[in-house]
Amino acid sequence: MIEVDRLSKRFGSVTAVDDLSFTVRPGRVTGFLGPNGAGKSTTMRVILGLDQPTAGQALVGGRRYDGLVRPLRAVGSLLDASALHAGRTARAHLRSVAQSNGIPRPRVEEVLRLAGLEGVAGRRAGGFSLGMKQRLGIAAAMLGDPPVLMFDEPVNGLDPEGIGWIRGFFRELAADGRTVLVSSHLMSEMAQTADHLVIIGRGKLLADVSTQQLIESSARHDVLLRAPRSAELAGLIAARGGTATSQPATSQSATSQSATSQSEGALVVTGLDAAAVGELAAANGIALHALVPRQASLEDVYLDLTSDSTDYRAGES
Amino acid sequence: MTGPSLATRATDLVASEWTKFRSVRSTFWVLLVAVVTPVAVSAVVAFAFANAPKSGAAGSRPPSDPLLPEVISLEYAVIAVAVLGVLAFTSEYSTGLIRVTFAAAPRRRAVLAAKATVLSAVTLTVGEAVAFTSFGLDQAVLAGHHQGVSLGHPGVPGAVLCAGLLLCVCTLLGLALGAIVRHTAGGIAATIAVIVVPAILALLPSPWNGRIGRFTLLEAAGQVTALHPAADLFSPAWSLLVLLAWPGIALAAAAVLITRRDA
Repeated sequence: MIEVDRLSKRFGSVTAVDDLSFTVRPGRVTGFLGPNGAGKSTTMRVILGLDQPTAGQALVGGRRYDGLVRPLRAVGSLLDASALHAGRTARAHLRSVAQSNGIPRPRVEEVLRLAGLEGVAGRRAGGFSLGMKQRLGIAAAMLGDPPVLMFDEPVNGLDPEGIGWIRGFFRELAADGRTVLVSSHLMSEMAQTADHLVIIGRGKLLADVSTQQLIESSARHDVLLRAPRSAELAGLIAARGGTATSQPATSQSATSQSATSQSEGALVVTGLDAAAVGELAAANGIALHALVPRQASLEDVYLDLTSDSTDYRAGES
Repeated sequence: MTGPSLATRATDLVASEWTKFRSVRSTFWVLLVAVVTPVAVSAVVAFAFANAPKSGAAGSRPPSDPLLPEVISLEYAVIAVAVLGVLAFTSEYSTGLIRVTFAAAPRRRAVLAAKATVLSAVTLTVGEAVAFTSFGLDQAVLAGHHQGVSLGHPGVPGAVLCAGLLLCVCTLLGLALGAIVRHTAGGIAATIAVIVVPAILALLPSPWNGRIGRFTLLEAAGQVTALHPAADLFSPAWSLLVLLAWPGIALAAAAVLITRRDA
């Protein structure tokens, strides 16, 4: 378990983490999401005792990290896959890390196999691809067989096979009952990996929900329809307890709309699902030209949540 | 406190640092330079001293001290091992590996101590081997010209031992300044500056050149390695203290800063 309690971290005048509190529980994969610069890496560094918090604290298994005697047996972490000496072999790197925590030599060979690196263990890490470095970093995190694991952007640089492997690996770790915190700035990535999401922006907590809840909480869960007698249908929908609003033609869709009759209106319906709207139209003899159930993707929800807290955005004037 | 004893944890950290030290090629090359250069240079310098005219123009006087060729040559090795010391930390800061190291060992001063232990053990061994080899070579050259001294001569064993210590002193100074500066180029520049720049104090008018100069690393090194120490500087015993104080103070500063700063 990782407990972050009213944590703040300022670098000069920049507040990287702002009164942040959340708990990462064992037995599930928790995604740590936020745009670039949201404070994810800073939070992880504070959890690992690398950065001193300005206020608040972070506990791992109920203890401060710098109070751990054999920290790698309590917490495994991968912050930066490139944090390697280019001239050192994968095996020598892992051995030096293992020795610092009194981890016996055979465990080094075990984690090399676990990460699929046994064939390149004797090669210098400087020649590794980013994907191989990620695997080496994960191998190092697993050295102490720790109950708590933290990975900062572990999917960067992995090929599709590697991404599939790492997702399965995180799930296995969680199924073992371990606490797994995985950061990413990509919702699409986390949607397929994480059971629970901690979303931050500008150092503040935006959401701490299960992935399923986040999908369901989406406000954009509606049905788009097109019908010649849309005004009549809107009245019927309202009578059934739904809400129908006519969708104004946007400039982008004007061309395609010009091909259809001007009288054919587009409606966005909430409160009734697509099946109910279709039955209603059929019962009243109203033809439907389109009936599209729309669900906001997690990506949309995430963008809504973080739109106010993105530090760097393209196309801003 | 439960878990492994302090001694076990210290041993583990030293083992980890030893693995790091010997698993990169730069270690080998730097040590090769530190061994070959002084031995070769000292032989050349000894020849030059032996063949210098007995009396003549200034600048070509014969050496007043038969151990001088060795000290001059070791100053070449000093730069090499100082770089080795600087790299111990800066190579980790430049790659971000320092975060892996400090996450594995949150007691950062213990990491500093472990690195110092490994570097000291290696540079003491290499330094003494080089000092005694150079001494043997130099004296063989000088003896041919009846200027040599034997190892049994009073004051000689201590002076040669201190010459060997010089490498360890400079590598620890480099280690500490590397931990303080955290950038390789800056760390090397700072270390060389601390070792070499104070030599300009020798240009001060007498007696201030001696009064201030005796606190510098190189003058102290000269005193403890000389058969005939200069009269206007500290005694060899005090000079040894000055020599050890340089890395000592730098390491103390590094120990304070290393725990205060974010990694």
